[in-house]
Amino acid sequence: MDNIKARFLEEANDLIEDLEKALLELENNPEDKNQVEKVFRVMHTLKGTSAMFGFAKVGDLTHDLETIYDFIREGKAAVSSEILSITLESVDILKLLLNSDQALDHKDEEAYNRLTKEVVKLAEKIEGKPSDETEQEAAILEVESVKSYYILFRPQEKILVRGANPMYLLDDLNALGDCKISVHQTNVPSLDDIDPVLCYLYWDIYLATKENEQAIKDIFMFVEDDCILEIHKVSDGNILSNEKFIQKVEEIEGDVSVEDLKEFVKNLLQILKSKGNAEEKGGSATSKENGLGSIRVATDKLDHLMNMVSELITVQARLSLFAEKNPNPELDAIAENVEKISRQLRDNAFSICLIPFENLLTRFQRLVRDLSIELKKDILFLAEGRETELDKTIIENLADPLMHLIRNSLDHGIEDKEGRTKAGKPAQATITVKAFYSGNQVHIQVIDDGRGIDPVKIKKKAIEKGLVSDEAVLTDKECYQLIFLPGFSTAEKVTDVSGRGVGMDVVKRKILEIRGEVDIESKVDVGTTITIKLPLSLSIIDGLLVKVDNTHIVFPLFSVQKCYEVTRSQIASAFNNMIAVDGEQISFFSLREQFKIENNYPEILQLVTISHENQKVGLVVDTIIGEYQAVLKPLGKLYKQLDIMSGASILGDGTVALVMDTNKVIKEFSNKILI
Amino acid sequence: MSEEVATTQSYLSFKLGEEVFATNVSKVREILQLTKITNIPQAPSYMMGVINLRGIVLPVIDARDKFRLPLTETTVNTCIIVLNIEMDEDTLMLGIMVDSVLEVFDLSEEEIKPVPSIGSKYKSEFILGMVKKEEEFIILLDIDKVFSSDEISFVMEQTEDIATPPTN
Amino acid sequence: MTKTILIVDDFESSRSILGRTLENAGYKVMQGNDGEAALKILDELSIDLVITDLNMPGMDGISLIKNIRSREDYQFTPVLLLTTNSKNDKKELAKEAGATAWIEKPFQVEALLNNIRKMIR
Repeated sequence: MDNIKARFLEEANDLIEDLEKALLELENNPEDKNQVEKVFRVMHTLKGTSAMFGFAKVGDLTHDLETIYDFIREGKAAVSSEILSITLESVDILKLLLNSDQALDHKDEEAYNRLTKEVVKLAEKIEGKPSDETEQEAAILEVESVKSYYILFRPQEKILVRGANPMYLLDDLNALGDCKISVHQTNVPSLDDIDPVLCYLYWDIYLATKENEQAIKDIFMFVEDDCILEIHKVSDGNILSNEKFIQKVEEIEGDVSVEDLKEFVKNLLQILKSKGNAEEKGGSATSKENGLGSIRVATDKLDHLMNMVSELITVQARLSLFAEKNPNPELDAIAENVEKISRQLRDNAFSICLIPFENLLTRFQRLVRDLSIELKKDILFLAEGRETELDKTIIENLADPLMHLIRNSLDHGIEDKEGRTKAGKPAQATITVKAFYSGNQVHIQVIDDGRGIDPVKIKKKAIEKGLVSDEAVLTDKECYQLIFLPGFSTAEKVTDVSGRGVGMDVVKRKILEIRGEVDIESKVDVGTTITIKLPLSLSIIDGLLVKVDNTHIVFPLFSVQKCYEVTRSQIASAFNNMIAVDGEQISFFSLREQFKIENNYPEILQLVTISHENQKVGLVVDTIIGEYQAVLKPLGKLYKQLDIMSGASILGDGTVALVMDTNKVIKEFSNKILI
Repeated sequence: MSEEVATTQSYLSFKLGEEVFATNVSKVREILQLTKITNIPQAPSYMMGVINLRGIVLPVIDARDKFRLPLTETTVNTCIIVLNIEMDEDTLMLGIMVDSVLEVFDLSEEEIKPVPSIGSKYKSEFILGMVKKEEEFIILLDIDKVFSSDEISFVMEQTEDIATPPTN
Repeated sequence: MTKTILIVDDFESSRSILGRTLENAGYKVMQGNDGEAALKILDELSIDLVITDLNMPGMDGISLIKNIRSREDYQFTPVLLLTTNSKNDKKELAKEAGATAWIEKPFQVEALLNNIRKMIR
């Protein structure tokens, strides 16, 4: 056996080499059917043989991969980068499994488990859900008790020509229990006319067996389409042991009428007073289904949906690129159509992932109620913009920070009853949580009518803590932002509730993680408003693709207003970074200057005006390529300091484009000038 | 319950200029041909940019720069080693550009020699040890520490260089 | 009387292990590594059952079955097709081509032997 196993490993490793080659080819040419065929064949072979040699894990993993590639080669699915990535990862695991004789170390074991799940998910995604629940139900049916069946087996004439032998089938039936078989020869023609290859017979079979209907069907598994097969349960228990039944059966001439037979059995049983069927449970439960206004959807289905939409948009970008490079009117029309539709699909898919803000409110209401009791403050909690919809990920990540802000406000912001009356305020304090759209952002505000934040006090505390130098000149806004520095707290006493101000820097960090901003506005003795600003969509944005030297950059289309042509000399001679366009003086920044890119400085440049905090600001780039749907890919932890870039996007030809957060960029460039 | 720790491990060696370094293969995901690197402006010089790795945006670091080695010309042997780095309890994928990849070899624990603390060119916290192979010294790197550190270089300042590098 | 089974599969290890299993079960085994070889063996020897893989380069399982059935001597010979997934349209193809039965890979030895017993005794 060892020789055979060694040979198997050799062949398997060869196959894996071929597989890898084919996959890498596919990356470059996803349309290459030959490669798909190759991949499929390898998966098929590995799946079929590995279990025999003790490589069950290999078999499991290749099983679903094979299904995936089968679909691809039938044209029911297309090669995608997701599929290729997962397949290539699987190849690595397969290599490990084969060469370590399936002895994986812990880390690899985890990778294997994760990968198998991903592959299964991927296969299901492609296949549509394979629900075999009905089979399971069937399996639960009565097991032990004996039942009697009448079976009509009427094979097609040509059955023998497929190598099947009805006698074997009858034998097998016989083996299941008590069996009585009678044959019909009525169809046998006269000797002259007989064609020896054909089967003219058919049979009535009465069978009493413990096995269920499925077991009977199994016997006929390979011929069920080549015959008339009827299986009728006639009674519980073994009716064949009853003489009268046998007598009746032997008397039947011609074909059996199932109704008659059943009628007969019923009567017989009644006469015998045997315990027949238990009353069948009355009817299916009437499930009251409320009108289908909405359905619950598992979040991983939503994630799949979003992934697929992202894939689609990436591929559509390639299609558009291809159409551009290969001018063909029909292709153009198709590419345009695809772009339109995928854009709509994207919007639709996003809206599916949106959840109304309301979902968070219950938590807040609870918090306010509990705290107001504990702190002995009378608080009215108001909410506005309940229907405002947010991406579910944002909502999940927002819950904690918001809770903390509310807690803070309740604890430190709102004065106790005495303090309020002294300040001439109503005894009942109000906390309002508001959510609304502003441009392509969502704003969430926590507004209280408490004591407000005193910038002087804040600054003082910050200086005490060494967070800021005492000579620093800070605007009120900047003072408020000091609250977010780690280690800050102006609370006179540390309460259990909000702790030592550990929370605020965490709050800000969490908000930054979802690419949001947090602003504070306040007036002493009047109240405080904290505004969280969040981008609406996390992963796909409409953008304007531009180029600076060799670098591709994407500006979020929302903020883009107009594009103008400018010359290098205009830029150079501009005073104070201002330039006149359309009769207006606006500030501008040249990306080349800011990023210090010197090469290939063209004479003619493009100025793109961006709306920024109600002002027009220009950004100068080399060329404008066009509109582009950017599937945002994260730049990763290494670049987390760099917040002028929201992420990257992969263009139709595989190049990486940088997605710029124009607001942050302009802020940063402006700050630089001040310094 | 601790199982017997494998005393022999595999390492991948690569060249930066004239020096040979190596890292444990468990950290290595794959090796790529040099491909177009998209530069990200305003990033430190050793961060060369990002590349498209089958749909994932992978940051690439110039290992030569981090080791303050003279930047050599890119040759046909220059490639990118894709690594799995542990940083702050997260696993990060990143690529490092090296002048060439040499080989994978096994080392038993006994063969690894500690780095002398005096006269060593590189800061010892990034080095697991050294080994001599065929007349060459190979420096084994603690790759997690090397690339997660924000330090600009690992070169021991033999003479205290007071001149601070200019800020961006 | 010992029955002879012909195994057709392009993957050598599968053939070997299948062959060994069947021999242990008391059958005589012949092996062919592709459709062509299989047909030659059929023509030269007397085979009682053919087990063939579905996906093979060159002549695939279905074509092979069609070829077998077109030979007078083998019109009624049972053929077992080794398929890989339970998608029903493979079944259709197999039956159209004249296969007697099919079994999905990977399979338990028991199931295989049972299926064989359904066809030759």
